[in-house]
Amino acid sequence: MEEGALRYLDKIDKMGGVVKGIETGFFQKEIADSAYNYQKDIEKGNKIIAGVNEYQTEDKWIPVELLRVNPEVENIQIDRVKTLKNERDNGKVKDSLARLRRDIDSNANLMPAMIEAVKSYATLGEICSLLKEMYGDYQELIVI
Amino acid sequence: MSKRKKIRVLVAKPGLDSHDRGVKIVARALRDAGMEVIYTGLRQTPEQIVAAAMQEDVDVLALSILSGAHMSLLPAITGLMKKNGMDDVLVLAGGIIPEEDVPILKEEGIADVFGPGTPTDEIVRYIQEKIG
Repeated sequence: MEEGALRYLDKIDKMGGVVKGIETGFFQKEIADSAYNYQKDIEKGNKIIAGVNEYQTEDKWIPVELLRVNPEVENIQIDRVKTLKNERDNGKVKDSLARLRRDIDSNANLMPAMIEAVKSYATLGEICSLLKEMYGDYQELIVI
Repeated sequence: MSKRKKIRVLVAKPGLDSHDRGVKIVARALRDAGMEVIYTGLRQTPEQIVAAAMQEDVDVLALSILSGAHMSLLPAITGLMKKNGMDDVLVLAGGIIPEEDVPILKEEGIADVFGPGTPTDEIVRYIQEKIG
């Protein structure tokens, strides 16, 4: 097993490391392959999981009480954000986001600017939108 | 079956949900069964999914959702499809969807819901019977 693991790590090294492996979809493919084979093994009965494909109990459903979130919660949260945006010092928010933008541009440590932005009540959405605007968004490599 | 053109399926993940193990298994099972499968990737909006289904001219739209937002996202998708006259597309859902939500989703235009433990063959057969 140890040998197998080392061989596998060696293989990853040879392809250029983990980042390269993610970029080329190697890891995504490995995970998807193993998930698919696992599922096939369960369906074919090659792998037995008690309660899933063998040794099931007669009564199939045990009623479970579900947590239902009141849809009104969404409106309450929207109102809270609106109130916050009306009541905070929007000049300060603007300045702190401008500083964050400058720090991204100059490749500085972003943490102080982000803490300042949070303290001025910039929202998570505002901070993330700026980061996405400057750096771009994660592009998923589709592997099935 | 084999004389007809391949069944085209769009497999999609609506909303903020990155659980893609199941969706990828289903996508591959459908592909292994000879269908043409397109997968959108994670975190798609209803608008993106419906646009992709339209562009790809699919026979089936298979939606995977495990986030709990199925009661808002799935009707949003079927609603957009109705608006665009895509009544001929078979819409399926899978993931963590409580039993009692299924009849409501069916009223909203979801043909059927496949929960955890569904053998992939069952989904393949279901599609082949409905489309084939």
